[in-house]
Order: sequence, then structure tokens, then C-alpha cells
Amino acid sequence: MKVVGQRLPRYDAGAHVTAGTRYVDDVRIPGTLWAKALRSPHHNAEILSIDTSKAEAMEGVFAVVTHADVHKNVHGHIEGLGVPGDEPLLAATHVRYLGQPIAAVAAVDEATALRATEAIEVTYRELEPLFDIRRAFEPNAPQAHDNQNWYPDFEGQMDRRQIRKGDVDWAFEQADHIVTGVYRPYPMEHVPMETQVTQVVPEADGRYTVYSATQAMYFSMGVVAAHLDWPLNRLKFIGGTTGSGFGGKVDTASETITVLLAVKAQRPVRWRWTREEEFLCSSTRAGWHMEVADAITKDGWILGRKMLTLHDAGAYSRFSPYGVTKHSFHHTGAYTIPNLEFNGYVVYTNRVPSTAMRGFGVTSVSFATEIHIERCARAIGMDPLEFRLKNANRLGDTSPNGVVYTDPSTVPVVKAIAEATGHELPADYRTMTAAMRSGDDLPEHLVGQLGNPEDH
Amino acid sequence: MAKAVGRGIAAIEYPTGMNQNGDPSQAWIKLKMDGRVDVFAGTVDIGQGSKTVHSQIVADAIGVPMDWVTMDTSNTDSSAFCMGTFASRGTFIGGNAVRLAAEKVRSRILEIGGELLEVDAGDLEIADGEVHVKGSPDKKVGMGDIAGFATFVKGELISGQGTALKEYATLDPETGAVTVPPHSAISYAACAAEVEVDTETGDVRVLKMSQVYDVGRAINPTMVEGQIEGGAMQGLGLGLLETVYPYYPSPDHRGSGYGSYFVPSMEELPELECIIIENPSSDGPFGAKSIGEMANNAQPPAIATAIYDAVGVWVTEMPITPEKVLRALRAKEEGRPESRTDGKYIRYDEELSINAVASADSAVLFAP
Amino acid sequence: MSIEFTVNGTAQVVEAEPLTPLLHVLREDLSITSPKASCQHGGCGACTVIVDGEARRSCLMPVEAARGTAIRTVEGLAPAGGELTPLQQAWIHHYAAQCGFCASGFLMAATAYLEQGGTDDRDAIVEALGGHACRCTGYVKIIAAVQAAARGETFDLEETAVGANTTIKGVER
Repeated sequence: MKVVGQRLPRYDAGAHVTAGTRYVDDVRIPGTLWAKALRSPHHNAEILSIDTSKAEAMEGVFAVVTHADVHKNVHGHIEGLGVPGDEPLLAATHVRYLGQPIAAVAAVDEATALRATEAIEVTYRELEPLFDIRRAFEPNAPQAHDNQNWYPDFEGQMDRRQIRKGDVDWAFEQADHIVTGVYRPYPMEHVPMETQVTQVVPEADGRYTVYSATQAMYFSMGVVAAHLDWPLNRLKFIGGTTGSGFGGKVDTASETITVLLAVKAQRPVRWRWTREEEFLCSSTRAGWHMEVADAITKDGWILGRKMLTLHDAGAYSRFSPYGVTKHSFHHTGAYTIPNLEFNGYVVYTNRVPSTAMRGFGVTSVSFATEIHIERCARAIGMDPLEFRLKNANRLGDTSPNGVVYTDPSTVPVVKAIAEATGHELPADYRTMTAAMRSGDDLPEHLVGQLGNPEDH
Repeated sequence: MAKAVGRGIAAIEYPTGMNQNGDPSQAWIKLKMDGRVDVFAGTVDIGQGSKTVHSQIVADAIGVPMDWVTMDTSNTDSSAFCMGTFASRGTFIGGNAVRLAAEKVRSRILEIGGELLEVDAGDLEIADGEVHVKGSPDKKVGMGDIAGFATFVKGELISGQGTALKEYATLDPETGAVTVPPHSAISYAACAAEVEVDTETGDVRVLKMSQVYDVGRAINPTMVEGQIEGGAMQGLGLGLLETVYPYYPSPDHRGSGYGSYFVPSMEELPELECIIIENPSSDGPFGAKSIGEMANNAQPPAIATAIYDAVGVWVTEMPITPEKVLRALRAKEEGRPESRTDGKYIRYDEELSINAVASADSAVLFAP
Repeated sequence: MSIEFTVNGTAQVVEAEPLTPLLHVLREDLSITSPKASCQHGGCGACTVIVDGEARRSCLMPVEAARGTAIRTVEGLAPAGGELTPLQQAWIHHYAAQCGFCASGFLMAATAYLEQGGTDDRDAIVEALGGHACRCTGYVKIIAAVQAAARGETFDLEETAVGANTTIKGVER
């Protein structure tokens, strides 16, 4: 019997309902120590001194780690993609956000670990924080980051992600109307039911077993190995069972520090974040600031789009340059717009670094451009569904990067939603398909813009 | 107190796989000597169902019952490399890796089956764990016999490996133009939201959401529904409820628990209608496209538009909290227009623009 | 301090400070790991157990308050190797758990609801379970599972249910 297309249950459905699914926090290793972190009480400050001696001397404390214990303290999660690392694993000279880890402790129980973090003495010199990405480019803006307030290294040379396509000045000259709007999704939490958690076991053969809730075992193993300068075979990640992630468990937020503690203590160590830590100190979906200007004709064509995007990275880069690049590739949404001018900046602020979350880079632009499409359609008195169908991605149309669409579905999904909601479409829209443009569907501004989907 | 009902729709697209590619998933498969199939892959099932979906792909790609397939995704000693569970890549890219590995195993099974049945491998097919001559279902040999023959007579482990990898797309830093398509198949979706706005409290309730998703092929329709229904509630949270900084960009009043950060609960669940379109992709496993991430992208703009339809105000900062709705309604009552016509320009939200907030000597402003 | 209670019918004696959360004692002292340490402030329901017939959040319950009680957890719902309860079967058939981290809490709260005569009435189910968070499913299939169990349906565990209000269709190209 074929099973593709069948409604089979999860492989672990039976385990889920009988407490048989063993999540990281359910692993029981005798002698396991509890970990806790000392976190920054300031949004932006210089660290003047760190003294761990009182914590180390406490009864029941087996290890205290700081930046001095990390072989490569600053390692970027996506250095392999050309994004230079800028975030310390444990803060050394500055704290750039409230809740940033400075030191971590492994102790015999949770209460002792907590008391030990409180015994670590750190002195600071507070600095003015930056929170509004719109003010980051002012000459007198507070300094949120070690260097300038925005990422300088797109392709190793550009301080912004650009898209340039067609002749946007022509489009804005030709337009009957230019509609501008500003769209601002705020940062949010992933709220996985399982908080960040890692259990590490030093093995007799010198290897370290890492029980991890990561969404990406090899990726996280690579991050740990890079910080420690270890070959990959010193680590064994046990994973594949995760109490949800939604992007937040790509960050490898707890694994490396737990390994460091286990190395120093030579005992198994478990670090489970509290929900408060998850809300206050774990990465978030980013805040975005998007300004859109569309050049439209009175009969419903979008001739061109200019767009400015500011992405609130928080204190460090993490995946933000990747996210803004992805965002730029999709800034026309499900529609074909031949003339484009897009500038996107990764902007640093003194808040928890943002990271990937479900829809990374595109959730924001879908929000902005779909509301904007509605405003444009209403500006010329056109049915917003017809406006969408008219400008829909069709076979042979090209993306902002010049990629030819080979199986676009704007038309079928918009027609299906019209049908589902009882929205009457005129006859020429009812019969529309995603086929290549011709006749009335191929206006002058798209002539010569189409590619051949058969070539791709 | 007045309650107003409105409707809005949104249509979106979403790519499969890491932006610009270069993100491999690998898998290897071996046969036990009774023909049972062991799959080793690194894709983490974070709840979305990839491990079950991959097992379904392997079962059909080889031609064995589902319960012959065991998947091990548990650790980095035995599992093959996978870039990770993100970028909506599990079903498509991880799925292609196990499919490619399974196809190699299938080819080898057919070759050895041909030896045993003394026919050309091309004349054979596999169904339910048995290899038989096409058109002659009685002329057959079981996969257990084939695997046993390979192990004990030929001295061979029947195995296969697969890697799904698309070439990295380099881009022109000036224009963004790419050398090759920077993603795998693009999925599309649309959402229609019906909301009720309480004009006294600013509270917005979503009454109904109809959603259309083109997933190429629903390898496990129940799991597709699971993504769509779960995504709908996350989209509702995005649109109306959730933020860690209620007064963004200010860091004040940050929620630290469920009492101060509002995760959508059962009580917010609207009526959901789910339409799955199967418009197959050319290169996904069995025609599949991705579904995971896009599932929370269409609801927020659909909800924002429905609010406009209900009470005639646009709120373009999300989540669209009661406070923001009330402020917008008050501005409308006071006769403050939402847009300003300036020649052929129709300008919305000018007070939110970087031009309004930053000083004139800012290195970045927006003047379209 | 020595505190006695039963867990899934087995007598237990634990040494604990009286204000220690019951959740901590169950997980760390007794290795009963079905109640999850998810929020530990009563906000999500993932630690729910049944204490003397009532669904309780074990993170908020001091172990002293559990003295002399009969506690039930997911580990005790079905006998080892025995048949699953209708509710557990409904959870499988209706795909009510994805990552599964919330399932234990939901199952115990829903078990208490059904044992107290709860019906398939949607509003009553939402009233009983509305304080439980699930981040994966969107709750649709959780409600369907509880309703089906309340109706006394029987369940095919080899296949999952067709979702309510779902249509699947091809597209003309």
C-alpha cells in the first residue's frame, strides 16, 4: 500500500500520551549538577571587573566559567556564510543588553547555583542605550555595538542590502499615484513549551555527550566545537526530541556554556532556563521598520516600488544579515513588480539579539506589503482581489533577483480564497490561470521583462 | 458599546530552503538481512512531523510497508548531516535526501532481485516488500530473500546514501541579481479573516479564518492541517497579542511570564476553514512544497485589513492591541486624516516615518 | 520533613522542605517526568497532575499540601503494556500532540474533566482547558480529541482523523 498522502499518526504519538517521550530535561544521569548564569543588569555598560573568587569558594560549587575559559569567545553562528562573528559567548569587556550572560556556575543543586551567581562581583560603567532603530543613523546616536550602529559587511563591502531592478525613476514618473506607508511589527517571543535546556555528560573516553533540544544537531555541534576549538568527534550530540522551537532553538544558546561547565567540573551538568529567562534573555523575533512607496496606475498596475527596511538586530548580528537578505528577495510578495529600489539595513540596539522565527525575514514583509496592496487598490477604487490577480506572479514573470517563476500559485490561491468567501470575481478574473502573460495581461511595462520558464 | 464586523484577505508566498541555498541534508539507508529498512538522517523533528513524513517517503520510494521503516535521527554519531530544521526545509530538502538514498537502495534491490529471478532489473518492480516481474505478480522474490542473499552469499550490505543540495546562489551586491535561483520551490497561501471590533474597548476578536495553502503535495494531510491550524494561531498572536516590548521601541513593561505576555489560548480560537491545494513542484519529494513557516504569515495583514473594513482605521504597528485600535479610533473621531494627498502622492503613517523621528542629519532617511 | 502520599497507587515517602513545589519533588526526587517544568508559575498547565480527583498545577502546589493525597500522572493513566484510555487513544487519532510537551498537562486536565462528567460541549471544554498553552497545534485537534473521547467513540490508532473543515484539491495548470 502506498503511504504518501495517507493520514498516518506521528511515530511518537503513543509515546507522547504515555510519558514515553524523553525530552532533554527528562534525562536522568546520577550526579548531575545544576547550572545558572549571571546575567547583565544593564542595557549597555562597560565591564570594569569580574571577581568569581567568592562563588568558587562556596560549598557545593563545582565550576564557575567566564570569558577567560573560552578558547574562541567571539564566534559568529554564520561565519561560514561570510557574516563575521561579533557576539561573545560570555561578556568580557561590555554588556550590550539586559540579561546578557557574563558568567555561569555549576553547583550541587539549583539553589546553591543561584546563590553562587549572586556571589560573583562585577563592576560596570553604565553607557547610554539605543533602542529606536530610526535614530541609529544620527551622528550623535548612542553607540549600541562595538563598531557603528549598523552592519557593514554585506558581501564584505556593503552597509546595506540592495535590490535594483528595472528603471524605478521611470515608474515613479509614469505613475498616476504614489502610495506610501510605514509598517512596524514589534519583536515577539518564540515561547516554545520547552525552555532552552542542555544536559552534558563527560564520558570516560574523553568525549562529551550533549543532550540538546536544538533544531539543528550538526549546526549546534559546529558552534560548540568552534568556541572550544575541538574536532567534531570529541562531541556527540543526542537530539531529535524537541519540545518545539519555532526558530529559537537554532541559536545554540545553552549548549556551549553547559559543555564548558562540564569540562571544568568533570561532572554531568544540566542547564534548564526558567520561563523568565526565556522571556527576558532568549532571542526574539526581530522588530522591523518598513517604509513602502508604490508607483501605481489608475487601471491597477504596480509599475514600481521603493522600499526602506530597518531590521532591529538587537545587540549582535546572529542571523540578521541573512534575514534581511531573505527579506529583500521577497519584498514584492506574491506579485510581479518590474522596477525596484530596495535598501535594507541591519541595525543594532541594546536589546536581546533577535533571531530566526517562523517566517524569518518574510513575515514582516508580508505584513507590510499586503496592507500596502490594500491601500493601493482602495486608492484607485479597485477590488483588492482583482488588484492582486492583475499583478500576480505568473509563469515567466521574474522575481526581484531576476529569477524566472516556474510554478507560481498567486492566481490559484487568490481565486480559491475568493470562492471560499463568496467573493464574486468578474469573468476575466474567474478564468485567469498562472499561464504566461499575453494580451491584456501583458501591459507595455512588462513587455520584454518575461523569461522562459522552460529554460529553468 | 458597539461592535463592528469586518473582513480582510491577504495572499503571500514563501520560499523553500535556506536563502541562497548551500544547505545540504544527507541520509543513508541500510537493509537488515530480513529486508527491513534502517534510515539514518539528521533532520530534527521539532514536532512538525518530519520523521513520520520522511518514513512515508522512504516506504513509497522503495516499495515497502510503512512499518518496515525505522528512522534514526537521534545523534551525530550515526545520523548523516542535516543543516537543520529551519527555513521550511524539512519535508522538501530533508525529504529529498531520504528519497535519493531510498532510490539507490531500490535500484540495488532490483539488480539483485534480477539476478535471483534471472530477469533484467528493468522488468521488475517492488510493492509491499516484494520484487516481482511487471505483469507477472506471481514471479517474485521477497526483499528478505534478497537482503539475505546479499548478506550471506554475495557478501554485500545493501545500502544507499543521498544528499539534497542546491548550488549556492551568489548575488550582485549592487543589484541583488543572483546566479541561480536562490531557493527551492515557492509556496503560496491566502487567508481571509473575519473580525469583530469592540469600539469601546478596542478589543478585536477573530471570528473566522479561511485559509488556502498550495503545498504541492500533502504527504501527510493531517500533519499539513497541524501546520496550518497551529500557524493560524501563531498568526493571530502576531497580529493581535504578542510582543515582548508592548511600547516598542521602549524596553519598559516587558512581559516576563504568561500573565504579561499573551500567548494565544483556546479561548481565542476562531472557526478555521482549511483548503489545501496540490499544485506539484517539479523537484520536491512526490511534488511537495514547504508549509511550515509560511503558516503564520498571511493572518496578520488579513486581520489588519479586516479591522479597517470593520471600523475604518489602519493600524500598521503589530500586534494590533486594543490600545492602538482605540488611539486610531480617537484620531478618526477627532477628524485627523489617515493619509495626506500631496500631488500624486498619497502619504500614510507619516508620523511613524524615519523622516519624522530622526534628525535631519541622519545618514539614512526615506524620500521616495 | 517527611511527607507521604501515593502516586499512581504506589505509596511514596519523600524528604522535602514543605514549600518545595510538588512538581520538583515528582520530577527530581521520584523521576516521574510527565509533568513538565515549563513555566513554573502556573501559566501554562504543562505540569498538571490530578490530586484527589482534581486537576492541579503541580508547580504551584507546595508538597506539604499534597500530604496524604492520591496523586495521578500520565504514567498511571494506562496500565503498563495495557490498553490506552479512550482519551489517550483520541489524542493519537486526532493528532492532538505535535512536539508533545504540553500533552501530559492537557491529558490530566482533560481526564479530570471527563471523570467529573464533562461532555463534548465545546464551550465547556474550552472553560476546562482554556488555561493550558499549546504552541504547535492551534488547539483545533485538542478540542476534537476531547470531544470524541467524551462521546465514547472508538479510535483507529493506525490512522489519524480527517480534519474538520478541510478540503484538498488539485489545480488546473
